[in-house]
Amino acid sequence: MTRILALVLTLAVALTATPALAQDTLEKIRSTGALTIGTRTGSPPFAYVNKNNEWVGFSIDLVEQLIKPEVEKAVGKAIKVEKKESTPPTRIPLLSSNSVDLIAGTMTDTPQRRETVDFSLTFFYTGAQFLVKKGSPIKGVNDIAGKRIASQQASTNAKILREKYPQAQLREFPDQPAAFQALLQGQVDAFTNDGIQLAGLKSKAPNPGDWEIVGDFYSEEPYGMAMRKGDAKFKAAVDAGLKKGFESGKYFEIYDKWFGPKGELPYPMTPQVKAYLLKQIGK
Amino acid sequence: MNYTFKWSVLWSGQSGQWLLQGLVTTLELSALAWVLAVALGILSGALRTVPFRPLRWGATFYVEFFRNVPLLVWMFFWYFGVPPLLPRVAQDWVFNHGAEFWAGTIALGVYHGARMSEVIRSGIGAIPRTQFEASVAMGLTTFQAYRLVILPVALRLIVPPGTNESLNLLKNSSVALTISVAELTFQTRQIETYTAKAIEALTAGTLIYLVLCLSIATIMARVERHYAIPGLISRAKAG
Repeated sequence: MTRILALVLTLAVALTATPALAQDTLEKIRSTGALTIGTRTGSPPFAYVNKNNEWVGFSIDLVEQLIKPEVEKAVGKAIKVEKKESTPPTRIPLLSSNSVDLIAGTMTDTPQRRETVDFSLTFFYTGAQFLVKKGSPIKGVNDIAGKRIASQQASTNAKILREKYPQAQLREFPDQPAAFQALLQGQVDAFTNDGIQLAGLKSKAPNPGDWEIVGDFYSEEPYGMAMRKGDAKFKAAVDAGLKKGFESGKYFEIYDKWFGPKGELPYPMTPQVKAYLLKQIGK
Repeated sequence: MNYTFKWSVLWSGQSGQWLLQGLVTTLELSALAWVLAVALGILSGALRTVPFRPLRWGATFYVEFFRNVPLLVWMFFWYFGVPPLLPRVAQDWVFNHGAEFWAGTIALGVYHGARMSEVIRSGIGAIPRTQFEASVAMGLTTFQAYRLVILPVALRLIVPPGTNESLNLLKNSSVALTISVAELTFQTRQIETYTAKAIEALTAGTLIYLVLCLSIATIMARVERHYAIPGLISRAKAG
């Protein structure tokens, strides 16, 4: 028994020790020549694999066109951007273990998460809604009692539903495609997620007209890019990239490319959202 | 980098309650799936050794088909693939009555049944053929020979590999989280969602699985000693 105890303790120590290896992110990028981002493969149009099998998206463009030049300036040499898959349950551990340097996907900036990671300026603003079959009795968050609602595991939406609407039967899936499949087949009555992500899924559905997005935002979801806590120099470079993008209008060009009338997913920016984004840089 | 450990997230708030719920679900899922796996394993393992060829073929098909496809695929198969075959009313009823849990149980049980079958077949294979022949010569039917002579001996021989397979089943129950079963691993992720403290939550999950598996292994080691047939399992005295 003593031996087993010793083994357990060794394991605990090993787990405790590994992530504490301190490393300056900019230093790491300089030595490896690469900025490694954790992003998604199935969250169109933020980050997904498109029909030509290319890994693209709005969040990825922001990194490549706005943040990469600033990071290059900070490290004083050309770098490349490397992408790794990260899901809600894996993204903070990936960051803590130095596997990735920046989470650029669809991560909501929350106070709890801020205790563990740092967030960049907000680069997108949305809120939770429901995707349902056309004509469904569910019209918003007040109609979900007793209904089977799919959500994404470890997401902010699931947390809110569990706390504030416990009458709903919550079914949590690890990724969007599985949750959407459950909705398509009737395992669940609605799928809740951030409105913009539902719009992305709906546009990819076999018959987009059969589905509708309902309800007012029942949560606020400002998206930020997450990085290891307390690395002020790296955070400054990331924020500078986004800030310059807002100032020069380049950010809005990229927004237009993905969400404009001819974009992957037309989703015009409301004046409130624009004001919210610009307020961050004091405009 | 600065990762500040905060182990108190494991006992503050609802974490303890969630871990307990997850543990109970994991145990329920594993226990039911284990019963199913052992039943299917004994049946198909025995059928693979009987003299009647079509039965052997049927059992071989079951084993090779189910053990050679990843468990994750079986989870999706039983959850997404099977319910649409039912009438709409039955589907709704099933979806409102824990379809996730039952799909997970069946997926786990049927998959591990195929693996258990190989363990049992090897146990039967270790028994000299002459025992079967002697049983039949004494007037037993094939079914009686299996039930009264072959299987009781085989089951006592396969306790060590059977334990191994059972521990695998317990750990594989975590795959059920992909179809939304709120078992132990799922609950550790839940704690992560609420606290953003993934390493603490994963460590708690790891320790619970470890303690669970070590307890089962200890109990099974006793069972093994108790039921060992002298001369057939050499570890009987050494252990």
